[in-house]
Amino acid sequence: MRRKWLFTLVSVLLVALLGWIWLERVALRAFPDIISAYTAKEYCSCRYVMEQPADYCRGYVKQSVPVSDFFDTAEAKRITVSGLGRSHSARWLGARQGCRLE
Amino acid sequence: MSKGWFLIPLLILNLSVQAEDWPGEQWPSGPTPSGPAIEALEQYAFPPRDDASREGIRTDALLVIQDGRLVYERYAGQTTAETPHLTWSISKSLMATVFGVAYGEKLFGLQDPVAQYYPALGKHPDMTLADLFHWASGLDWQEDYEYAPLNSSVVAMLYTRGRRDMAGFTAQHESFSPPGQVFRYSSGDSNLLAAALKNIVGPQRYPDYPWTALFEPLGIRHAIWETDASGTFVGSSYAYLTARDLARVGLLMQRDGRWGERQLIPRDWVAFNREPFARFQVGQDEAVPGGHWWLNRAADPAIRPWPDAPADTFVALGHWGQALYIIPSARLVIVRYGDDRDGSYRHNELLKRSMAAFAGAVQP
Repeated sequence: MRRKWLFTLVSVLLVALLGWIWLERVALRAFPDIISAYTAKEYCSCRYVMEQPADYCRGYVKQSVPVSDFFDTAEAKRITVSGLGRSHSARWLGARQGCRLE
Repeated sequence: MSKGWFLIPLLILNLSVQAEDWPGEQWPSGPTPSGPAIEALEQYAFPPRDDASREGIRTDALLVIQDGRLVYERYAGQTTAETPHLTWSISKSLMATVFGVAYGEKLFGLQDPVAQYYPALGKHPDMTLADLFHWASGLDWQEDYEYAPLNSSVVAMLYTRGRRDMAGFTAQHESFSPPGQVFRYSSGDSNLLAAALKNIVGPQRYPDYPWTALFEPLGIRHAIWETDASGTFVGSSYAYLTARDLARVGLLMQRDGRWGERQLIPRDWVAFNREPFARFQVGQDEAVPGGHWWLNRAADPAIRPWPDAPADTFVALGHWGQALYIIPSARLVIVRYGDDRDGSYRHNELLKRSMAAFAGAVQP
């Protein structure tokens, strides 16, 4: 009898969880992109718009979620960052335009 | 002899022009006050800086203009007088000031429907430009930054789903209220304005408009304003100026839109910026929204966000402690750039100590 209750409870929770995932599917799909996109964009602007030193900019964009790969191509002023299985790049476009995510 | 008499009115006119200071290539400087009041201000703004923990108040720049003269300037961390610092949401008030120049050109009216200039808002025919300046679009926007990243509209707009066309992303939000009824702070509203400006000034002028309309007339030589992939300025977040250059915008606003002899922005535009949004209710935000600027007074006289600053104080504010404070009654413009990560910085405290140091206000 107790097992049956437990089964019902777990089923209800599972349905609720799946329902929540379905409702939030768009936001959830985009969620892992945040860290790499944020880091690429704000590092690019720190380094090439505000013209701050590379070390400082690495600290400036640091968040609690770690990034796995980080490439700054100084000649192209282009930054590629990976984290949570996603990868994003930002590039400096010009003296007035600053940086933009690609 | 008669020729000499003729010159006297000219001389007087010249004296009156001389009496008002304006920046040329550089700011004219005035004497920096000394004494305990300025020390108290510095103790608050520049405590020992911890770059490892990033805790506490972390001022990058503090600059004070009084009567059009630079009377105080100090930098910390990596920021210098030459650094075009990210202003974050100060950009919103800068965008409103750019709009002020277009208003002076009679290119739009505040009650015009936004959809007239930005057709993607066709589903919202009653939304006016004034509603957007009041952050009262009625769109169901979530402004949280770090604390609720999953459902943050602003994070999605800047970095993921909305980044290619930020205004288009905003326009897709459902309404929670008819426009013009309820204040809800929204970076999306600011980017709808940035997109509407494209058709207001025309796509030919738009890419250079912030420079030709505002920055160049003020002598600002090094401003950056990033765009999204659709070419719309990120009016909500991504303007960069040196502290000295941001202070130029402050002086323009302090003097009701006048720059030297030229009324760059109509006085009634600045009056709109400084008029509290009538439907703002206590507790909806720290400061009182005006027309895309923040005020220290509301329609309800009981509301005074910064009790130690004069009631006429109006400000532009940005994430991580960026601030441009304008106090016309004390003829003060204060730029404060920061890198505050924990929210411990208090505008009221800085304003109180600045008033004591520069306006001779007695500290209680």
